[in-house]
Amino acid sequence: MVITADVYLPPEEELTVQEVNLSGPALRAGAFHYGKYCEFQNNEFMLCRSELNDPRKCISEGKAVTSCALDFFRKVKKTCFKEFTQYANCLDKSSTKLEFEHCRKTQAVYDKCVLDNLGIERPQFGYFCEVKVHDTKRPKPEPKKPDVYPDYTPYLPDDYPRPPAKYGSRFHWME
Amino acid sequence: MALFRNKRVISSKIKEEKSIPVMGLVLSEPSNCAAGRSTMILGYLAVTAVSGYVYYLTWKKVRQDQIEMRSARLALQPLLTAERDREFLNQLRRNRDEEAKLMANVPGWEVGTWYGEPVYKTLPPDTLVTPYIYEFYAHASDSEFKRRTTLVLWS
Repeated sequence: MVITADVYLPPEEELTVQEVNLSGPALRAGAFHYGKYCEFQNNEFMLCRSELNDPRKCISEGKAVTSCALDFFRKVKKTCFKEFTQYANCLDKSSTKLEFEHCRKTQAVYDKCVLDNLGIERPQFGYFCEVKVHDTKRPKPEPKKPDVYPDYTPYLPDDYPRPPAKYGSRFHWME
Repeated sequence: MALFRNKRVISSKIKEEKSIPVMGLVLSEPSNCAAGRSTMILGYLAVTAVSGYVYYLTWKKVRQDQIEMRSARLALQPLLTAERDREFLNQLRRNRDEEAKLMANVPGWEVGTWYGEPVYKTLPPDTLVTPYIYEFYAHASDSEFKRRTTLVLWS
């Protein structure tokens, strides 16, 4: 209801791209290696999203993210398909929450395959929880300046006498 | 009826015997409940210390597993957010078109406003304000709304 005719919404053709057609276990299985492979595009998109706070302005970055994801999963399918499906199957059937701890053996097999074929090493377990610094060509948006009204009360002149507080301060350590 | 007796009488009799059977009840010497209090406290602390150590042994492993799970979710977040954004913008346009079609014959109605009066007055005109869930699902069925808002666990 609050979307008026003045609000620009991109047309459907602009928003239609080929999507990654994978389910939860497959995405969770390939999460670490995918995150390492597509780190630049992912960081760019998330920075754009958090700085500009508008989904309409980050559509091209989002398309880059999806195409990188498609690229990665196609490479995995070409080289490590069996190990990947075995690992995803193990994650799916071992626990309801797709926990990693029950599937270490299949994970080792999959990691070795990806390292040999694609050259991607699995980052350490807290890698994507860390704060990242991302260099980008897009300029930083200016923060909103406070409003200045024409009838603001004038400040004290600099040479006005400013004596110390008459009865001291509320806290003894601020005196 | 000899149930209520003088206290002094009972204590002088108890000095000879430990327990007096009276009408099926056995009156015994009042015991010192807090006799082993230091033993109790020391035992409590010892058991707490041992169990705390055993808890710590798996605490590290559980924490690492939680961090790993969080890492996997964060690694996948951009992909899922991008996909969601595209579909969200598509749905907003569909909602706006549906509202225009619905309120076409109502005099004075402009899409996104209350009979011409804008909802958000101080924002610039091209601001995308995320509508709240009832507005977003206004033209959808009840079952779709419930499917989105109600979480049902199958296991």
